[in-house]
Amino acid sequence: MARYLRRTIAQIAFVIIGIAIINFFLLRLAPGDAAQVMAGEAGSATPEYMAALRKQFGLDQPLYVQFFSYLKNVLTLNLGYSFRQGMPVSDLILQRLPATLLLMGTSIAFAVSIGGMLGLLAARQAGKLADTLISALALLFYATPVFWIGVMLVVVFSVLLDWLPVGGMASVEAGLTGLAYAADVGRHLILPATTLGLFYLAIYTRLMRASMLEVYGQDFVRTARAKGVRPRRIAVRHVLRNALLPIVTTLGVQLGSILGGAILVETVFAWPGLGRLAFEALFQRDLNLLLGILFCSSVVVVLVNLAVDLAYTALDPRIELS
Amino acid sequence: MTVFEISAPAAPAPRARDGLLLRLLRQPSAAVGLTLLVLIIAMAASANLVFPDDPLDMVTQPFLWPGEDAAYPLGTDMLGRDIASGIFHGARVSLLIGAVATLVSLVIGVGTGALSGYYGGRLDAVLMRVTELFQTIPPFLFALAIVAILQPSIPTITVAIGITAWPSLARLVRAEVLKLRHGELVQASIALGASDLRIIVLHILPNTLAPVIVSASILVASAILTESSLAFLGLGDPNVVSWGGMVGAGREVLRTDWYVATIPGLAIVTAVLALNLLGDGLNDALNPKEAAR
Amino acid sequence: MGFRGRWGTRAVLALTMSALAGSAWAEQAGGASPAAQQEPRRGGTLTAIIQPEPVILTAAINTAAPTGVVTGSIFDGLVDYDANLNPVPALAESWETSADGKTLTLHLRKGVKWHDGKPFTSADVKWTLEQVWKKIHPRNQATFAKVTSVDTPDDTTVVLNLSEPSVAILSSLNSNGAQVLPKHLYEGTDILNNPHNNKPVGTGPFVFKEWSRGNYIVLERNPDYWAKGKPYLDRIVYRVIPDAAARSAALEKGEVQYAVLSPVPLKDAERLAKLPNLRVTTQGYEWLSPWLFADFNVERPQLKDPKVRQALAQAIDRNTISKVVWFGFAKPADSPIPSTLTAFHDTSGITYPFDPKKAEALLDEAGYKRGADGVRFTLDIDYIPYGDDFKRTAEYLKQALKRIGVDANVRSQDTAAYTKRIYGDRDFDIAITWFAAFSDPQVGVNRAYGSGPIGKNIPWTNGSGYRNPQVDALIAATQGEADPKKRIQLFKDLQKVVLTDLPTLPLVELKFFTVEAANLKHPQPTGDQVYGSFRDFWFDDAKAADAKPADTKSN
Repeated sequence: MARYLRRTIAQIAFVIIGIAIINFFLLRLAPGDAAQVMAGEAGSATPEYMAALRKQFGLDQPLYVQFFSYLKNVLTLNLGYSFRQGMPVSDLILQRLPATLLLMGTSIAFAVSIGGMLGLLAARQAGKLADTLISALALLFYATPVFWIGVMLVVVFSVLLDWLPVGGMASVEAGLTGLAYAADVGRHLILPATTLGLFYLAIYTRLMRASMLEVYGQDFVRTARAKGVRPRRIAVRHVLRNALLPIVTTLGVQLGSILGGAILVETVFAWPGLGRLAFEALFQRDLNLLLGILFCSSVVVVLVNLAVDLAYTALDPRIELS
Repeated sequence: MTVFEISAPAAPAPRARDGLLLRLLRQPSAAVGLTLLVLIIAMAASANLVFPDDPLDMVTQPFLWPGEDAAYPLGTDMLGRDIASGIFHGARVSLLIGAVATLVSLVIGVGTGALSGYYGGRLDAVLMRVTELFQTIPPFLFALAIVAILQPSIPTITVAIGITAWPSLARLVRAEVLKLRHGELVQASIALGASDLRIIVLHILPNTLAPVIVSASILVASAILTESSLAFLGLGDPNVVSWGGMVGAGREVLRTDWYVATIPGLAIVTAVLALNLLGDGLNDALNPKEAAR
Repeated sequence: MGFRGRWGTRAVLALTMSALAGSAWAEQAGGASPAAQQEPRRGGTLTAIIQPEPVILTAAINTAAPTGVVTGSIFDGLVDYDANLNPVPALAESWETSADGKTLTLHLRKGVKWHDGKPFTSADVKWTLEQVWKKIHPRNQATFAKVTSVDTPDDTTVVLNLSEPSVAILSSLNSNGAQVLPKHLYEGTDILNNPHNNKPVGTGPFVFKEWSRGNYIVLERNPDYWAKGKPYLDRIVYRVIPDAAARSAALEKGEVQYAVLSPVPLKDAERLAKLPNLRVTTQGYEWLSPWLFADFNVERPQLKDPKVRQALAQAIDRNTISKVVWFGFAKPADSPIPSTLTAFHDTSGITYPFDPKKAEALLDEAGYKRGADGVRFTLDIDYIPYGDDFKRTAEYLKQALKRIGVDANVRSQDTAAYTKRIYGDRDFDIAITWFAAFSDPQVGVNRAYGSGPIGKNIPWTNGSGYRNPQVDALIAATQGEADPKKRIQLFKDLQKVVLTDLPTLPLVELKFFTVEAANLKHPQPTGDQVYGSFRDFWFDDAKAADAKPADTKSN
């Protein structure tokens, strides 16, 4: 266990330095800098204005000085300051983090629970009509571009039926608090979470179906069946438990991908999350901010994978961490 | 955004009596997938014959709805460009992006996986750390960054998708190679003094082919989807028609002239569906043990 | 969306005039005047869209549009501009220019207070002019260049002493052109990093309350506003909505009641204008007078020859650009000074009508005959990535040039890459972008032709690389000329030269539009309403019942 933790910490350190290097030099390759972006947005500029901005951002320093101060910051876990936004990067991220976690958490819960259930159903009906229908439906959701589903859900459920709000995270105007506020956020969450969840639904449906079928074929299930255990009990007690392993693994691996997909959903639904913030930081050449977000998302991915490994040991006592 | 982690067939594909194609066609879903894919490829191949003119030409009045004018069966977009022509020519570009991006992923992924699995030790450790690093960066965000920095064009979009999609492939190949590495065939070859390269190329990679082919079909699909997502965010190549680019352009008129984005959107759905069905079919055909269940 | 940029994603115009004639336009004309007779109602929350999100909330140091829009209600201008772009009193009640044009005196309103309760005085104006406008402000360093000193004989009088007459100053004194900052909060601080840049303290009708990044900005009614009884609204909520389709849906549903700078796709504007609960108007942008143009890189061998540039101009149908590419939300431009600046606008008869045959003949004459493959030469077209309309403009140019045998390749890139390429590296052939001409061409048009900033990586300056001593002299003369008639003649001479040499091809005059709820009442929009305040806005609730769905009941 100690060795496992040491390895995990080394892995996090490697990821942090790796991301710092990739991010720093990748963004250096980009034509134009943050001062250029701001002068561009201002609609007009003078050499003095540009020089003042560059000095403010520290862009007038030699490249190696910039890189080392950057690396030093990263290693001391100081995420730095976003000059463009006029705020410390950590503040910006903390502001957006709850929205991101809420959206991702709900989408994943939706995808895993509904997807898992559909997969279960399909596996038990393997080869029958229900199986084909479920598989086809899941595939269809997967094959349809995420943003397209998002826009269509808005048109149907917000504009035509007027059941749900168009976008945003809460009705700011209403000034709600407490439970009413939570309910309001919940209403705003339904469409974006469904949109993001539908895309990943397919994966969990298929995964669940495949691993259920695989476990069904294994000896201990056959034994149970031979002993006359009822099918429902077999499905739940013996098969489901084992079939969950690959789902949990995939979840860990996909976290990064879900954050990427969130950019599209956050765009369509004006959801104030980290994906959108990262996207904008990229175009604004806001180096510190982009690094900070990548850094945080990597740490989350590594930590979740750590949790996945721990969950493994809980789900399958035969697995040991080494 | 590679989403499907492909589970490797449990064992190397046993030799079956029938040809692969026949086994494929015997499964209804794979047959459908293959047929659709062949149709799309036929569209791509015949684009220059059926629509000899530049699909970017503004040929007639804008916003002709499908069916409104027989000369333009799928209508025209906001600049009066023929959508049918765009779909045919776009098939080429979209398939090309999918195929080349997948090729890039295959080269990096299979290379990394094979080296890592075959040599093990320190090299394995380093390569796997790098793979993990790439896996922790949200792939779509990474692709976006590359395209934004190198500026959107078909080559940069293709490379960006390829560069961000390989880690799962590397892991898959590594796992396969690890299994084979200690198998009799490889051990025998080492005893006979065959070079490492020869062993990897002749004895190991061919045996990992089944899961890799399945992965590849799905990577192509996911590359086509990713291209459309990039276009939605405004990162497309304006000099060529691609389905993703058409959807991206049509998104502004989605509420008024929805067909402009929907028709190429359906083309994407069809292609992605076909490739996934084919991937499933291949998986089963190359791995009859699972298919039997 | 970063890639979309400054004014947001959308684009503008799709209303053909006939479509407009139907509902919204008619209503808009009628909407304003009966409102004027009705008694304004107090109360209500106005939800507006701000997109993209502002960088900071102080227009004195960042002149980007979103900052200007939000701060328009927080900071009053020294003056406002009416629909004909004449200054009208705001913080300055009156002003006069001395006979020699070298002194401008502003008489400030008495009893105005900053939002923190401190009095607003001439010292604030003097300090901001000297420390911010002349040193940091991106545009005003040039506009106020002729100011040698500022006197403040008393708390409400500001005297600007000029080295030469400077007519342009009076056209740049609104909240966006010259925002006055509170001296007591800024003096002695690092102005660019002052925390109040993001928590502004102004004198305007609404007080900054809260900014949730990527989400919303809230302003509340200023109870101590100098105009008694105003503002009428209790609260303003600006929501950040990055996607154009979502903006459209939010307006359609009534969740949002006001959005400026062409917030929805041009084609959607046409649809929204027909809805009973919405109005679409192109008023309020007169002060901006935006024009879209193509810069030819005159340092490139093929584009060196004015004849080639004139040929390319004749290959482009500006009618198609305004009707098809910009869905009617544009008007063909024939001069760099937009026709909205009626006094200055004059082509001297130098026009380039659409005539591909003539274009081909000119190219033949210039020595660029069609090759065996039908191609004369190839070039690249870059466009400013502010939305699909700009991209479509580039795509149209590509196809138009193809017809006369010029093979063009469209390149897309983000804003930072674009400005560096055009204004820094100068690595381009044709670049499409837009400028605001503003109400005086000295502020917005001269910058496209002066040779000073060429290649110095200063965005929104001379992109073509055109150097002409005669033009530089004309530009210098317009800045110091006090006699309006002579000054107008100088601008006419300038247009004549640059239209003949054609380093920059004016394409269309853009018409931005505002979408607003039908029950939102206000007087005739000012010429700078886009950067103006909500001081005179109010909700007609009688109409609200049917115009706005239950969702906004919180109002």
